Amino acid sequence: MDHRFEYVIGDLIANVVLGGIVGLLCWLIVGPSWNMWIAMFLMMAIGSIIGLVGFFVTARWLGAMESMVPLMFTGELTGMVVGMAVPMIQPFSAMQSLIWGLVCGAASIVIIWIANSLLRGVTRDGKEARNG
Amino acid sequence: MADAVTQAKWDRLAPRFDTMASKGAEKRWAPFKSALFSEMEGKVLFLALGTGLDIPHFPKGLNITALDISPVMIEHAQERIAEYDGTIETHVMDVHDMPFEDDSFDMVVTSCTFCSVPRPIEGLKALHRVLKPGGKLLMFEHTGSRWYPFRYMMNLMTLITRKLGPDMNRPTVNNVRAAGYRVTEVRNVFLDVVKTIKAVKEPA
Repeated sequence: MDHRFEYVIGDLIANVVLGGIVGLLCWLIVGPSWNMWIAMFLMMAIGSIIGLVGFFVTARWLGAMESMVPLMFTGELTGMVVGMAVPMIQPFSAMQSLIWGLVCGAASIVIIWIANSLLRGVTRDGKEARNG
Repeated sequence: MADAVTQAKWDRLAPRFDTMASKGAEKRWAPFKSALFSEMEGKVLFLALGTGLDIPHFPKGLNITALDISPVMIEHAQERIAEYDGTIETHVMDVHDMPFEDDSFDMVVTSCTFCSVPRPIEGLKALHRVLKPGGKLLMFEHTGSRWYPFRYMMNLMTLITRKLGPDMNRPTVNNVRAAGYRVTEVRNVFLDVVKTIKAVKEPA
């Protein structure tokens, strides 16, 4: 993770807020009678797009990739978890969706921080995917 | 002759470029760019200058030849060029079409460049030609990722960003190797999508 305090706090707030927004969107969009797999994949896609929108809002303060990747990841993870939860757990309230979304946002940025700690620094061979 | 499509794309973006890039990204990347560019020495070719956001990271007193495909970008860079304590000679030029002699630069430096060069391996080969044997290539670049889900995200983003400016999923380290350099160091700055790359042109 970036050790500069303003970025730690900024990344955390941005991802928690985005998680909350996507959580609430899941509650608004997904109905209790939906097939959970369809709900999951649809909300993962919508969550990624909401993450992209969030990136355009926060990039001015939090940077380019360092803002875009976590927010898209948060959108995707929150969409997956809350999108599945709404049809699976009944009744599932708006407050539950919001709280689950906030938790997913916090969990996502922690996962990104851990991944970054594992990947950053000098690499042995600089291996990359062949084409994107 | 410069690639007209690429030139027009960056000319259009130039007036808004600082608004997009000079705040978050530049501040976040500043320590890493300063560390990389502190190694600049000798006769340096810098690609691509853009609006000159990298100039504050350059060591003082160098004689730098800086290229950009966009004349509008170079216009916007003039203030930062004037503030630099050294010499920066600018050229509107396509990397694929450089008129410099073979083996004429000690070092080639790029910054967020090979996300946008349309034919990256050919562009890197063109830089290889003008770099002296034993000369160094220093790059600060964002690339694609090897890892799911980051790889998928960068591919998705590229569908959008390619129309506006850069690709987000280039395998730039692979491209450097394919262009004939020996990669000496790859340092991941953020995940494996923002990185510094050091390479050398092996003596013949």
